[in-house]
Order: sequence, then structure tokens, then C-alpha cells
Amino acid sequence: MPEINVTPLGAGQDVGRSCILVSIGGKNIMLDCGMHMGYNDDRRFPDFSYITQNGRLTDFLDCVIISHFHLDHCGALPYMSEMVGYDGPIYMTHPTKAICPILLEDFRKITVDKKGETNFFTSQMIKDCMKKVVPLNLHQTVQVDDELEIKAYYAGHVLGAAMVHIKVGSESVVYTGDYNMTPDRHLGAAWIDKCRPDILISESTYATTIRDSKRCRERDFLKKVHESIERGGKVLIPVFALGRAQELCILLETFWERMNLKAPIYFSTGLTEKANHYYKLFITWTNQKIRKTFVQRNMFEFKHIKAFDRSYADNPGPMVVFATPGMLHAGQSLQIFKKWAGNEKNMVIMPGYCVQGTIGHKILNGQRKLEMEGRATLDVKLQVEYMSFSAHADAKGIMQLIRMAEPRNMLLVHGEAVKMEFLKGKIEQEFSIDCYMPANGETATITTNPSVPVDISLSLLKREMALGGSLPDPKKPRTMHGTLIMKENSLKLVSSEQALKELGLNEHQLRFTCRVQLQDPHSDPDTLHRIYTHLKSVLKGYTIQHLPDGTVMVESIVIKVSSSAEDSNAKVLLLSWSYQDEDLGSFLSTLLKKGLPSGLC
Amino acid sequence: MEDAEFDDILDDWFIESLKTYKDLHVYQLEHPTQVIEWTSEKTVCVAGYSLSKNEILELRLPLKLFADENKGLCAERDFKVAHGGFTDGPVRRLRHIPGTRCVVTNDGLSSDLQVWDLGGDDSDVIRRTGSIAGRRNVSERGSRIAARLSSPPQILHGAQSSDIQLTELTSGRTLYKLETDSADPLSSLQFVTDAVFLAGCSNGSVCVADTRTSAAPQLSPPPASSGDSVLWWADASVGPHPSSCRVIRLSSSGQAVVSDLRKLGGGAVCQAQLDVQTRCCNLDHVRVSWAPMLDDCISVSGFGGVVQIYTTCGWSMELQERQPLFQHRGHVVSSQQTDDSVPVFTTAHIWHPERPRTLLSAASDGSVHVWDWVDPEQSAAGSPIPRT
Repeated sequence: MPEINVTPLGAGQDVGRSCILVSIGGKNIMLDCGMHMGYNDDRRFPDFSYITQNGRLTDFLDCVIISHFHLDHCGALPYMSEMVGYDGPIYMTHPTKAICPILLEDFRKITVDKKGETNFFTSQMIKDCMKKVVPLNLHQTVQVDDELEIKAYYAGHVLGAAMVHIKVGSESVVYTGDYNMTPDRHLGAAWIDKCRPDILISESTYATTIRDSKRCRERDFLKKVHESIERGGKVLIPVFALGRAQELCILLETFWERMNLKAPIYFSTGLTEKANHYYKLFITWTNQKIRKTFVQRNMFEFKHIKAFDRSYADNPGPMVVFATPGMLHAGQSLQIFKKWAGNEKNMVIMPGYCVQGTIGHKILNGQRKLEMEGRATLDVKLQVEYMSFSAHADAKGIMQLIRMAEPRNMLLVHGEAVKMEFLKGKIEQEFSIDCYMPANGETATITTNPSVPVDISLSLLKREMALGGSLPDPKKPRTMHGTLIMKENSLKLVSSEQALKELGLNEHQLRFTCRVQLQDPHSDPDTLHRIYTHLKSVLKGYTIQHLPDGTVMVESIVIKVSSSAEDSNAKVLLLSWSYQDEDLGSFLSTLLKKGLPSGLC
Repeated sequence: MEDAEFDDILDDWFIESLKTYKDLHVYQLEHPTQVIEWTSEKTVCVAGYSLSKNEILELRLPLKLFADENKGLCAERDFKVAHGGFTDGPVRRLRHIPGTRCVVTNDGLSSDLQVWDLGGDDSDVIRRTGSIAGRRNVSERGSRIAARLSSPPQILHGAQSSDIQLTELTSGRTLYKLETDSADPLSSLQFVTDAVFLAGCSNGSVCVADTRTSAAPQLSPPPASSGDSVLWWADASVGPHPSSCRVIRLSSSGQAVVSDLRKLGGGAVCQAQLDVQTRCCNLDHVRVSWAPMLDDCISVSGFGGVVQIYTTCGWSMELQERQPLFQHRGHVVSSQQTDDSVPVFTTAHIWHPERPRTLLSAASDGSVHVWDWVDPEQSAAGSPIPRT
């Protein structure tokens, strides 16, 4: 039976890195190539030994697909392509291709320059890796080769995130990456058509949660900012310059207007440069509704938000500043942080995940004393707030996606089986499909039952239907006879005559002959007549003819009588029949061997 | 997405909420629940009430709510579905048996109870383990259920006052039956001490009995002003402090009457006319509750889409109109209801047993809110004081 194999690479229970291997129709595809952000050693890389013990991966993989730019999905890509070795195509959407190298470089700088690690990819490796990237557009089918095709769908979650549909022949798989089913303010919700893949592969990380509303997260953000401003404090919001930052800006702007607040809001210049660049990427990627808003809301046309000058950081009184980079690991946001950290009236709001080794990561872990350059310590007295705005699907979202795509099987990765039994039961009950949950390093094998579509010639169809009986019942298959011709990529069912004609072959007719000895003193014609009478009484319902040329025919079986040369009282019957009448022919020869009954005239 | 879309979240309620709530979490279940029951300090059980198959879920509250010291460093705001199971019918009553991983449910269509095992660390599936037969086979109302810590576990249940019995969970043995002539449908049933329970009837009468004796129960007739078609719900406050042994009775016309639990025959202590929408109360969904950690503080829901908090301080024997101290209008404002013709209404609410002002509330559109309200009269005399 044909089957699809899915293996999440990695070991044990570790969640936090995505790298999934799929074998479908003879093709091997790697889905995502993430870095595990919790490890400092080689355990952070996916375990490629499953693919091959040593040597390059090019011969073993048909393609690599990256779902979005988060490091736990693409962080190990340069390591895989340049240090382990892979020269084949790497597919990702345009925004992902633009943003990935920037995040990878930032990540590399932090890990190598700040933490002094050695077994890591270089800047050149990132560049070489990105040269292998083939960008994808939404809803556009891409032929990876003659048999493998892929298509990207909108996933929401972050700019450029995609769900991928992979098809080989009539088998297919959809991989969701990270997605969300409730629209975000600047991103919209994931969407896929009823593509009915054999397997829908998704993360189980959020499958057993119920998300708090976006409204409440935003409320918390505004409440914290407002409380700080009211007590005269300064609020620093380190951001990476796209999407989320613009959303928070618009939120604050609207709030300031509503509440008639006077404290200044700034965004740093580094932000505006990046914003312009990504803004362009943005508007081709998001939907009509959102595009309209951001066309109206140019980053530079805020009423309450102004460009920042570094001298403003020393101004007295409350203010809010958006600054890059997002993890406080360098640059302007770190400079501002150093100035403001010592005052407990101030606040820093971290809107996302921070990589190990950054100041952001340290303060989010509760560190209140930081070692800075030149052995100086910084006392962290300001309020630290960690807020998660990332858009993820939850338990309800997974059910909605399954309803949309109608997969034949469901597969969840990165979950503990005992903590997923209820969800598995729920999916099985509601959709009557199997739900697989392979552990890391374990392979799930899913048997597919592909339908092979075959064209049938009209004449054959008519002939088979004319064979009688009622019209075919869709629930009861009926056997039919024909010849299957496989030509190029098409399959055709035709009658044997037509097949022979197409092949330029002659049809051979098979006839069997058999001699039966009979004791009969009559003349040849009389014996023949007696045979005719006998058969007519035995074989009722068959066509039996006594022909003028001295033969008896039963269907297509020919019977001749001649006298035996050796014995004058014996007759030799010659029976001949075609292959189609084999059964009847054998029956007749057995019957006639028994002799003719005496009462015949 | 115009400015309007951002303005829509910055509506009056939202702006107000920055000052009126400390914490606020809004969740959307796939199906509405009319039960919320604590199964541990951080977990609650909810379940659907549609006529066919439903889910029963044990949810872990967000870590952020409990991270008092390092609250800012915790970004975790979501419910975790810790355990889940399937029921064959609606769940209209659900009670956790303290000291166990068991809950008992009733479908509101008969007086029989279903017993469930919530599961431990080795499985996340909630399984049905048995059932307890009620006294009557056909009951329109369904049984009320009460439980307290006991070994072996016991359940108090009944659909009407003459049916109340105490059943031992594992053996199914009946340990106690309430002997009474009246057969009034119950609207509440709870233990006030280890052995003493209070049963509130929907006609407004209340009876208190001791499961250790076969002595006649103490009865308190319906409040004088009760009309014929008026329905009543009751809640007793249970606490070590003598002043906290009180019963509140609430009618479908909004009248609230407070009595002393130890002197039931002595009549009401005080009363008030509450500001509730009396025409839209749903029988099954009205809840009245004493705040476990605040003195003289009650909560009311089920009359429309709002949860109201009142202080009973200053109530007298005169039936005066009182205004709520606080109203949670979140369910009305953030309604996810697709059918506008039926306004959303609250289906259940409970107080956190230890955090003084934290409540959970649920509504007919499937929403579940967790909120920690700020007392508007913080310095004024007569505001509910948290118990130390």
C-alpha cells in the first residue's frame, strides 16, 4: 500500500525547534529547519543523522521549505546548508526571504560576538545559504520537479508566514507551520481551501490551550504604559521594526487621542528606515482591508508620535520610546535602557521572545544586576514587563483549520502523547479521521489510499452497460473487462480490439479441437442428426443448429462426424471451439464421450 | 481596518476597565457552559449543556493571575486544557468532591447523577466511572448536588425537598434521607458544616438539617412578600466567624432577604430591592453568592448579561432599592453572539476561594471571563473589607 512517512527530527520531549522530514511518493522534503533556543551546544541543531550518517544532504532531500522567519523555524538553516551541506532548492515566501537573513545575522552576532561561541555559521554562510532560496507567491503552484509540486497559503501569525501544500501524484500533505485562525490587526487569519490532503501536519504546542483575547492583552499594555506615564516615568519599548511595532504605535496614538494625553511618544530613527523597507514588503503581502489602513497610516504621519533624537532620553518627565533592536542586545534601545534602568518609576515592555545572551533575556529571567562592558554593573530598578502579542491558533483554531482543509489524517508534532489523548479523541470523533502523534525521532507511517483516475472509452462504457442488468450501483462495484493503457501521464481503459489496433497487433483467435470416438453403426449424416437431437434435448436454452454443410453448431462449437478408418462401426467426432466457449466445449466433449442414448431416432 | 477598528476596542467600557479592574481575561469556549466549579486552587471544571454530546473540560487558570511577585515577567495569559472528556447529554449541575479527583454531574432531565474521574498526570482524558440513582425516575428539574470533604466520599443530592439523600460514592449506599412532608423543587443545596446542610426551595422556603440525626429539619417559610409565580434562590455563607453564618434569598423579582442561619425561625435580618432586569431571568442560570473573602458582600448573575456585586452593609428591614457596588458588563460589551435577536445572558459565576476580588463568569455565547475588580469605595466607610 502506498504510504507517507513523517518524522519530527530531534530527540526526547524537547519542544522549541521545528524540523520535520516527510517522505511522499519517493520524494524527501524537509519542513522548517529551526534552532533550539534553549541549548548552547550542538543539541540546538536538528539531528540530521536520521537522513544520513555522514556527508551532504543534497542527494537525500528534494527540497527544503521554511514556513516563516522565527528562529525556531529557520535558525539552523545556514548550518544545514553550509556546514552539513545542502545545495538543493530552499523555498520560502518573499517576506521570509527578506527578513530571515537579518534575524540570522543578528542571532549570529549575539551568539558569536557576545557569547564567544565557535561552532556556528558565519555571515558569509548566511549569504551563501540565501542564494539557494527560491521565493514563493501565495496560491501559486510551483513544480519542484516533474512529480513534486508545492503551493503556499496565508498563515497569519507573522509577516510572510505560510502554510504549505505538497503534492506528489495523487498524494498530498499540508504543513501549517505557525498560524492563527482569528484575524490579527495587521495580519488577518490563516486560510486554506478544501484541498483534502492525506495528512495535515500541525504543532500541538497550543492545541491544548484557550487563548486570552487580544483586547485584554492590549488593555494590559495600555494600562501599564498609562500607569507609568501617570507617575512621571519613562517607558521603553524595544521592537523589531515591523508589523507588531506599527500596531502598538497605532494603538498608543488612538489611546493618547482618546484620553487627551500630553506625554510625548517617540520612535527611533533606525526604526523609520527599516519601517519604510518592510512597509513595502508588507503591503503586497497583506489583504486589501489592511493595506488600506497602512496606506492611510504612514509611519510618519502620526499626530502624537515623533522621531526620536538621542538627546531626548535625558529630558525630564514622562515619555514613551519605541527603539530597535528588539532584544536590547545593542544599539539605541540598549543605550536608552542603560540611562533609564536606575529609576523605579520607569518601565521597559518586552513584546517578544529574547535570545539567550541578550540583556532582554536576562531581565526577563528576573536578573536585577547586569554586568556591562568594562566590569560596570547596572542596577535594574525599573519595572520589567513581558507581554506576548504573538498570534497563535488554540484548541478551537485547530478544529477550525481541520474543518477548512478536510484532511484524511491529522498529525500533531511536539506534544506528549499522554497530554494529547483528549484532543486526539475529539478530532477522531468529530471528523472520523486518525490522529497521529509521533515523538521526536519517531516515524509515523500513514497509509494512503490514493484514487487513480482513469479515462474510459465511450464505446467500451456503452458495451459494458449493455451487458444488461440495472444501472450500476455506486455502492456495489461491478467487474468489467477492458485493457488499461498507460501512456505518458494518462491512463485509459479501452476495449481489447481498440488496444490491439493502437498497438498495431493482430488479434489471435484460439480454437481448441478434440476427437471423440463413438460407437455408432449409422451413416455419418444419421449419426450427426442423432447428435443434434440429443444435444437439443440436453442443452435447452443454447443455440444449436444443424447446418447444411454437415456440421452441428452449439454456440460457436463445431461438431463434425466422420467414419473411423479402422472400425466400420465407429465414428470419429471432431469438436472444435473458441477460447471463449472453453467451458461449454469441455462439457460437450465429456458428454459425447459417454455415447448417445439408444432411444434416439 | 479604519481608525474605527482601533476605536472599537477603545470603547467606554474598555477605557473604564483600565481603572476598574486589576486583572481582566476574556476567553471564548467552543460551546457555552452553565457550570464553573473549582477542582483545585488553580483549576476549574466547565461543561456544555446542548441536548446531545458535550465536552467536559478541566481548565488551568493562567499563570499570570497567580504570579503575584513577578507578575510582570510572566506573559502567560491562556487557559490550559488540563483534562477533557465527553458526555452524552447536557451538564446542568457539576460538583467536585473535595479531596478526590472526582466530579458528579446531573443533566437536568432526570434525578440521576453521573460520576467522573478527572484523571491524573498519566492521562488527560476525563472518564465516566459510574452513576448514582436519584429517588425519582422522572424529574423535570434535575437534581442539585452538594459535597464536602469526607472519607469515604459522600454526595448529597435531590431534585426536591422530599428527595434529598446522602449517598456513599463507592458503595452506592444511602446513608441519610431527609424526612419532610413538603415536596418543593430545590434551587440550591449546600453543606454549611461537615454534617449540616441547607436546602433552598424555589418557592422561597429554606430548610436546614443535620445528616447525623433523623430529627426534623429547621424550616423557614418563604419571605412574606413572595407572590405566586415568584422563584427564589439561596446561598449560605459559611465561615468560622459567627456573623458570617447567614443565608441570603433572592427572588426573580429582585428582592433579596438576609436571615441568620442559626435563627431561621426568627425571620429576616435585613432586605433590599436589587437593581436587576427581572423580565429576563433564566431559571437555570440565576446565581446568588456570598463573597468568601469579603464581609457583607454578595454577587448576583443570570438577570441579563451582567454580574453585579452588592454590599449588604446598611441594609435594613425596609425594602429599599439598592445600587450595585460594581457591575461586570464584559459579557454584554464583548459579546461574540452571532444571533442578535437573543441578547447574551450570564449562565454562571463563582468567586475565587482565596483571592478576595477575583471572580470567574460565563455567558450564553460561550465566553468565560476571569476578573479582579477594584473596589470603587476604597476609603469610604461601609466598603467590604477583606478578611485577614
